[in-house]
Amino acid sequence: MLETLQNLYVGFSVALSPTVLLYAIVGCVIGTLVGVLPGIGPLAGISLLLPASFGMDATSAIVLLAGIYYGAMYGGSTTSILMRIPGEAASVMTCIDGYAMTRLGRGGPALAIAAVGSYVAGTASVVALMLLAPPLASFALRFGPPEYFALLLLGLLALAYMSGGAITKALAMASLGLLLGMIGIDPMTGFFRFHYGLVELGDGIGIVPVAVGLFGLSEILLTAGQEKPPEVIKPRLADLLPSRQEWRDSTWPIARGTVLGFLIGIIPGSAHIISSFVSYAVERRISRHPERFGHGAIEGVAGPESANNSATSGAFVPMLALGVPSGPIPAVMLAALMVHGISPGPLLIQQQPQLFWGFIASMYVGNLVLLILNLPLVGLFVNILRVPYPLLYPAILVFCVLGVYAVNGSVVDVWIMLVMGALGYVLRKFDFETAPIVLGVVLAPMLEMSFRQSLAMSSGSYAIFFQRPIAATMLAGGVALLSLSLLPLLTRGMDWRRALGLSSSSEPEKEDEK
Amino acid sequence: MKRTLLVMLSICVVVIPITQIAAQDAFPNRPITIVAPFPPGGVADLTARPVAAAMEKILKNPVVVVNKTGAAGAVGMSFVANSKPDGYTLLMALSSISIIPEADKLFDRKPAYTIDQLVPLALISADPTILVVPASSPWKSVKDFVADAKKRPEQISYSSSGIYGTLHMAMEMLSHAAGIKLKHVPYGGASPALTAVLGGHQEALASGPAVVIPHIKGGKLRPLAGWGAKRVAALPDVATFKELGYDIEFYIWAGMFAPKGTPEPVLKKLRDALGQTVQQADFKDAMTKMETPIAYMDQPEFQKFWEKDARMLAEAIKRIGRIEEPK
Repeated sequence: MLETLQNLYVGFSVALSPTVLLYAIVGCVIGTLVGVLPGIGPLAGISLLLPASFGMDATSAIVLLAGIYYGAMYGGSTTSILMRIPGEAASVMTCIDGYAMTRLGRGGPALAIAAVGSYVAGTASVVALMLLAPPLASFALRFGPPEYFALLLLGLLALAYMSGGAITKALAMASLGLLLGMIGIDPMTGFFRFHYGLVELGDGIGIVPVAVGLFGLSEILLTAGQEKPPEVIKPRLADLLPSRQEWRDSTWPIARGTVLGFLIGIIPGSAHIISSFVSYAVERRISRHPERFGHGAIEGVAGPESANNSATSGAFVPMLALGVPSGPIPAVMLAALMVHGISPGPLLIQQQPQLFWGFIASMYVGNLVLLILNLPLVGLFVNILRVPYPLLYPAILVFCVLGVYAVNGSVVDVWIMLVMGALGYVLRKFDFETAPIVLGVVLAPMLEMSFRQSLAMSSGSYAIFFQRPIAATMLAGGVALLSLSLLPLLTRGMDWRRALGLSSSSEPEKEDEK
Repeated sequence: MKRTLLVMLSICVVVIPITQIAAQDAFPNRPITIVAPFPPGGVADLTARPVAAAMEKILKNPVVVVNKTGAAGAVGMSFVANSKPDGYTLLMALSSISIIPEADKLFDRKPAYTIDQLVPLALISADPTILVVPASSPWKSVKDFVADAKKRPEQISYSSSGIYGTLHMAMEMLSHAAGIKLKHVPYGGASPALTAVLGGHQEALASGPAVVIPHIKGGKLRPLAGWGAKRVAALPDVATFKELGYDIEFYIWAGMFAPKGTPEPVLKKLRDALGQTVQQADFKDAMTKMETPIAYMDQPEFQKFWEKDARMLAEAIKRIGRIEEPK
């Protein structure tokens, strides 16, 4: 413990040196911008700035890039809450209740809670990263394809709690998402599937154009289709801060989101997107008023926003402790280290204490900077809503197109976004939730890969999912969750028969209910 | 109105051809783009950036690296193959450049590009792959590994960067040369493939020295042999397959290409610039930091190297054939 404090002292002396501090602040500012702009997420932002980091020393470079990463998680919530446009993919869940809060005139509190939740999660998870990195990293490595498949299946079951509407509709949407996720090169045989001659579809359809289209564009189209223009919400200063009740409602979701996000973040390959989905599902499941979700429940903002922030620190665990990237973003950051002649590996913490502890300390500083930066911005951002819709919405549309194009420089992505926007419009007219589609598109490639890898490992035997303890435990948990969610469905079915005076024994009808 | 139009038109008619002639006279007179068909942080990207920085000084014009990713590199490679052959759009490609058209052939697809749409300029680096197993594994040598694989065909699993990917090719060449059958579990990239071996989920991996050396030093992985003609400098104790009697050679290489049809003087200028690039101290320094030895070859030599490499890969792909999963 004493050693940790000593190391931390060294770390802070690095992190507070003017250059490193400057780069941390620059990173956080860029990250916030990257997060706010629809389409451009942390990966695109870091990739753009990677070449610029080559000229710096290693610590400054990694501090700058990390600042962009977690800064984007702060900024991502802004457009989600104010305009229902996910600023980056992990903010999809925030769109639902965050935007509903804005419609109720509580956009300011939602933004404030998102910032505070992100700060708490960011700081707490750095503590965890600092104290637990080596043991947790070796645990994370135990996640092979079967474990990963079980985890993803668990994530998919979270669906049952995700939408306010009918579960069959949610499942239908998730299936659509999973089907869309099948587009692209077959990972095990190399066949092109559903590419219609477009090489760009080889890697499948990207999550960013899908999310921006389904959420942002469909919202713009729906608003344009209304008979009366929606009223411009004029925020009052008093409405900017959360009420005491809202603070109280957010406390536990933030705490749970932090723990969940961190744990999901450390598993290699899993993304912070999943952490926000799972957090939302958990909050809805244990809430005493699940019906409030989707209509402006602050828990639905606090949980996912905390989760995606602490997932970023989680993602650094395998990266720093073992030199193993847990996703595309840490992979780019590892490359940045390699360019500086630092070989990332299990010896990184011993060989580069200045770098490791300086990095840790800079994350404490960076999270504080982001809080200070973001809270006053709440007032500014909320005022965007004063702009009349005929001016605001076309401007947003332009930003969506630019942002989506910028990620890969691909016009095909822009078309995907437009098609998804039209699809989202139609689906929402028919009262379908679009979040399960996004979840499906996110999960499908990973789910397929881990499923088929597992079977390749076992030469086709399904027993592999039950023989490995972690996988078996998670699958059992999934079955328990599923039966819990089906229970009310069955009992409700019986009630309905009783109300009609029918006997509850007729088998075919029971089948229909399921 | 009509007169202004007429004046503008005549200006266009006169000026445009002049600028075009000027452009042909002095290559380069505007920014050059190097397309890296893989994401930032990958080998192609990390090699392209120091090359661009050095070429910029030599050619006195900005040289920009653009990442055009997608479909295992096919998007960026076909973009360059089909771009205007004027020397302003170049490609930093890896060994996979020869794999993609072969795989397209295998599946009777219209190829995204063919390799004769591109001309080689220079080879920049070539790293042999290294066969590694977890440190806890029972195999201490290639002999152990091959003997066990012969005893248990299709039981020993290895991870790769993806189906028909470079790391898959290396292992397929070994399997063929040693007469063994292994179980292939593809991953979505070289990093997850490494993670899988570190976690003990797969039992072997062939990957580049820069990737595996930190983990060998950290005591997590054990190297068995290398695919190079010579031993890797950083791993002097690790034998090559050639020494052990397996006639296989495989490199993960990075080289520069231009679209076919680029005028000869322009090609000459680019080749000279690349020849000077590899001599520059900054460039050498950048490559040393990444633990990637420079393996420069000028066009004629590189052309031969590439043809041999492409033939070898084509044979390997034909041997693998279409993958039929057990039903």
